[in-house]
Amino acid sequence: MEDLIKEKVEQLVNYIMKKCLWQFHSRAWDRKDQNEGILTKTRQLLCGEPVELETPADRCWWVDAVCLADAFKSRYPWLAAMDKAEIKQLMRCLHERMDYLTITGSLNRELTDRHY
Amino acid sequence: MPYHEFSCSKCIPERKKHAVIKGHGEDLTAALPLGYLNTIPGSISERGCAYCGAKHVIGTPMKDVIHMSHGPIGCTYDTWQTKRYISDNDNFQIKYTYATDMKEKHVIFGAEKLLKQNIIEAFKAFPNMKRMSIYQTCASALIGDDINAVAQEVMDEMPDVDIFVCNSPGFGGPSQSGGHHKINIAWINQKVGTVEPKITSDYVINYVGEYNIQGDQEVMMDFFKRMGIQVLSTFTGNGSYDDLRAMHRAHLNVLECARSAEYICNELRKRYGIPRLDIDGFGFEPVSVSLRKIGLFFGIEDRAQAIIDEETARWKPELDWYKERLKGKRVCLWPGGSKLWHWAHVIHEEMGVDVVSVYTKFGHQGDMEKGISRCEEGALAIDDPNELEGLETMQTLKPDIIFTGKRPGEVAKKIRVPYLNAHAYHNGPWKGYEGWVRFARDIYNAIYSPIHQLACVDISKDEIPADKGFLTQRMLSDANLSEDVISSSSLRQYTGKYDCLPELRKKTYSSFESKLADVV
Repeated sequence: MEDLIKEKVEQLVNYIMKKCLWQFHSRAWDRKDQNEGILTKTRQLLCGEPVELETPADRCWWVDAVCLADAFKSRYPWLAAMDKAEIKQLMRCLHERMDYLTITGSLNRELTDRHY
Repeated sequence: MPYHEFSCSKCIPERKKHAVIKGHGEDLTAALPLGYLNTIPGSISERGCAYCGAKHVIGTPMKDVIHMSHGPIGCTYDTWQTKRYISDNDNFQIKYTYATDMKEKHVIFGAEKLLKQNIIEAFKAFPNMKRMSIYQTCASALIGDDINAVAQEVMDEMPDVDIFVCNSPGFGGPSQSGGHHKINIAWINQKVGTVEPKITSDYVINYVGEYNIQGDQEVMMDFFKRMGIQVLSTFTGNGSYDDLRAMHRAHLNVLECARSAEYICNELRKRYGIPRLDIDGFGFEPVSVSLRKIGLFFGIEDRAQAIIDEETARWKPELDWYKERLKGKRVCLWPGGSKLWHWAHVIHEEMGVDVVSVYTKFGHQGDMEKGISRCEEGALAIDDPNELEGLETMQTLKPDIIFTGKRPGEVAKKIRVPYLNAHAYHNGPWKGYEGWVRFARDIYNAIYSPIHQLACVDISKDEIPADKGFLTQRMLSDANLSEDVISSSSLRQYTGKYDCLPELRKKTYSSFESKLADVV
């Protein structure tokens, strides 16, 4: 079961790494905000839950989340067979993996620079 | 993802951590080339300096400005007309270059008087130009000339002019990228917020990190205008000085080249709350997704979709004609910074070529993270390569073509590898849908050039076949294609015009109903 989730997470990670740019902002705190903002909204969209759109930043994250959710749905048919709880678990694992690849495990030495 | 050691750089062991090979099943946490560090002594870098990055890359594309270098004449001359960032005001910023012509005596006695005299002379010589950028160089920085004070003195004496000062001497960073940073910050500190713009649409953006290489900005502007979006400013290609002073009033910053201009986007985000949306203007799918995102942000997705459908139907058959003929061709993607990640995946997917190596002259580790993620397994990724490493890579990987700047490009020609100019283009624009077909056409023309085939023959040792006639491009490119592809009625070569910009410049746009009760 764990291997199955891992395999699905890797498929989603590959899509993000190949097609998106939002995960590679230049500082660790910025990447954390981006991952949190976009992946949370993607999860909400995939689960049919309301998405907060209060600020311009929310709206900007939502835009990337809409495109990501659409791409996931069209490319990975197995997503349609998952229930909400499974999608939430999948997205939680995806979020952890993205944080690792782009922040905590990243070898980019500029991530902790105090200035932009 | 093992580090790669070049044979030619064994004598510079520090170089080893600047190159990796993307291995099977490995991710970015295994290895990442070092980047944005001082060039190692002994390594003949292809980088430019921080002055060049500030002036030549970012400052000079501004079109209605006198761009003055305060330093020896060589600094301005050597950065003049090397990049084709055109403009719709008869290319004023490319046609002329200005320097204060500092000499040894000024190093001893100071050059502030000389600077003031030059500023006034330039404004008098071009009375219609009321805006100026002054760029510090190594020489004027080292002697401590106070450029800001001189500029203020002139502005006090000539109230109708405005001057921007960029203190980014050549030594101010490991590469031109240091200059990108300095001019971004200088512009927002000195100029943003000093002009209030006229808002004419419900949807207002700054288009940032776009330099109008051979008309790229004008292609994208056409899409934005068709969507009813007001582009307050372009940072900086074909951009106007006063428009860029009003950047603080946009609703959204659309960022193209994050390498050169993310700094100002980030500052606008923090200081003015304007969000940053990163886009890709190259390739059918990336540009479509980008337009859709902007449409979504403003709630006008249908307008974006109409453009996507129309442009794709018009140009896709032409892109596919080239894709059939470029499949499997080996490419070294060796640009300066951002194009390594703008292009790495999309030239593979949409043109069928295989990217066997990526490099960046001045990129940071973040650019390598993006580039390595997007290229295919087995690709060799190099940071700040030297000329010998470039040669060794070409001899080892045997690419069919390289996309790079003109200095390494000329080196490639010497070993008979065709190259396309990734910085200034060949027959651009290359952005947008038609532009992407033009890029494919340029690749096709370079790889299958009959002249190139002839150039590969070494008359000093090769036997010259006397029984064969001249081979045309089509004879070369279609040799191994199926009859179905060759005689396909749905695929066709590029049918656009030699220069696609004049029509864009004449185009008029329908207006959309505005929610602004009273357009101010």
